[in-house]
Amino acid sequence: MSSASPSYGSRPWTFYVLALLFTLFVIFLYGPMLAVLVLSFQGPSASLVFPLRDPSLMWFDELFNPRRTGDVVGAFNRSLPLALVVMVLTVLISVTAGFAFRRRFKGATLIFYTAIASLIVPGLVLSIGTIVTFRYLGLSASWNTSGLGAHLSWALPFGLLIMFAVLGRLNPSYEEAAYDLGASKWQTVKEVVVPIVFPGMIAVALFGFTLSYDEFPRSWLTVGSKNTLPLEIWTMTTNVTSPALYALGTVTTIISFLVIAIALSSILFIQRKRSRGK
Amino acid sequence: MNTMTAKATPDTAAGTRESGEIRLVGVTKKFGNAYAVESIDLTIPHGSYCCLLGPSGCGKTTILRMIAGHETPTSGEIFIGEDMVVGKPPVERGTAMMFQSYALFPHLSILDNVAFYLKMRNVGKEERRGKALEMLERVQLDHLKDRMPAQLSGGQQQRVALARSLITNPKVLLLDEPLSALDEFLRLKMRGELKSLQDELGITFVHVTHTQPEAIALADMVVVMDTGRIDQADNANTIYNRPKTPYVARFMGGQNVLTGTVESNAGGAGTLKSEAGSTFEVKLNDSSATVGSKLSIAVRRDQVTIRRGDEASSVGANSIAGIVEATEYQGSYVKVTLRAEGDEFVANVSDRAFFAEPVETGDPVVATWNPEDIHVLSKVDTGGAGDSYLDGGH
Repeated sequence: MSSASPSYGSRPWTFYVLALLFTLFVIFLYGPMLAVLVLSFQGPSASLVFPLRDPSLMWFDELFNPRRTGDVVGAFNRSLPLALVVMVLTVLISVTAGFAFRRRFKGATLIFYTAIASLIVPGLVLSIGTIVTFRYLGLSASWNTSGLGAHLSWALPFGLLIMFAVLGRLNPSYEEAAYDLGASKWQTVKEVVVPIVFPGMIAVALFGFTLSYDEFPRSWLTVGSKNTLPLEIWTMTTNVTSPALYALGTVTTIISFLVIAIALSSILFIQRKRSRGK
Repeated sequence: MNTMTAKATPDTAAGTRESGEIRLVGVTKKFGNAYAVESIDLTIPHGSYCCLLGPSGCGKTTILRMIAGHETPTSGEIFIGEDMVVGKPPVERGTAMMFQSYALFPHLSILDNVAFYLKMRNVGKEERRGKALEMLERVQLDHLKDRMPAQLSGGQQQRVALARSLITNPKVLLLDEPLSALDEFLRLKMRGELKSLQDELGITFVHVTHTQPEAIALADMVVVMDTGRIDQADNANTIYNRPKTPYVARFMGGQNVLTGTVESNAGGAGTLKSEAGSTFEVKLNDSSATVGSKLSIAVRRDQVTIRRGDEASSVGANSIAGIVEATEYQGSYVKVTLRAEGDEFVANVSDRAFFAEPVETGDPVVATWNPEDIHVLSKVDTGGAGDSYLDGGH
């Protein structure tokens, strides 16, 4: 080794290989999204492929004043409240379940794995199972009953896993310090634990919302006769052959990004406030 | 800390507090089948500074947490003043605990951290912030009242934790390794401040530590623990100079432990002979040391002198021959480690004496002491001898 020339930090060949790999990854990740975004401004030629001719907003107009497309606005008016309800329920249930699991109880591991196992059940199968069960019980499927349940079976285990990670890092001495200073159990939760884990709760909310808002397989048979947004898009891909499809893609992506931006900026805001003071 | 006396303690609780004497009677704590603490009896006098000292896992933190009310004993009774406190919450006990990690609430400003106790008692916002500010003035951090805990240094965080504990007006302050998270300089500074704070408040402090110098420097009462049991509870001077057992002598450091068989015992003047044949003269106060029984003694490292010794035969009484294993310069003295009769033996030689006649690693030397510096231990050392059947005779 003594004969080796000294190195001043020149990059090994693996750096370039991995950089190339990463570039490809980023192109693959955002390329399709960009293509859809650009083509949603297609002109009256109504071509579904590049190049972009006579850019216009006509397909966005088509989306909100449907003549040939399906009921996009109606689907959105179902998807948004459904996603919000799933979000609220996921936060409530994951947080309280997370607290319950902090103190080890009998059968905790079994219950945990039972809750997590629904993650590996294929969504389409779960969708079929739900509708079959509802029919057997004489209930009719609807987005706000069977649809909601199917979405929760997907969002809850994620929420629970996140809460486990968040509460696992919570030093128990915070709770003991609160107890030491005369706080009741409820005061400890309200004044100490919830404020400390609040960024984690926002993360759970974000997951609950986006998992429901984007969900296709578990919605397939469970939402009844009225479609949610992903189902509506899928229907359109088979019926509609106009750039209105791209316009819809652009709008839904923007909504998803907005939700993520709001969630992340509120987490950042809380953390800044804590590290900088008032 | 000169502003300390300027402000009176806010009498948020009962006003004048009764005795902060802590009494543990037959306290046992089991985790599963393992004993963390086994049948402990201990009385910590009101207004004393008590250090619970021992290696990690000895049960010292468990005792502290049981006094605080964060752990419930499996059996036994804990009294604070006249009250049996087992089952009571900390505020009713009159205890306040300072956590090792300080556990300052990260989402609250320093002022609101200190005011937390008052908020839990539904004291109005203006009043509790006023009192919290007074408390922050006492620890000289009032200028940082709007900062968040993450913005403070370790030493500042500790002062906030102190202020937050003291605002409950406790009669007992419990400190779980309070200095372990600080660097050496701050540790010594805060050590002094803790001591003067305790002097000033006059309440009972119980301080858990695994650092011997910390315990000796601070405590009126040092409790040395070993795997769930108390080996010795005494004042610092006694613990250091007159350890009861070989364990305490070794754990406190500064002592060499030697073991021998009693050769003669004539009216208190006895002679011991080690396995390797060295003889030690000892004063035997109790007559239980009969000829032929084994006995362990301790001699302080700084009361040993060494000289070069070429022949083992020249070794007289009250001395031991060995080979120098290491020399370590400590400034005012030199720590000379010998391998003597199969064991480690340490002499702390003053730097003047050492450099007058220096020794090096590998040199054969003889270590000598005065028989009056010998201290007889109440238990026979079983560290290496393996004569376990001789142990526990007292």
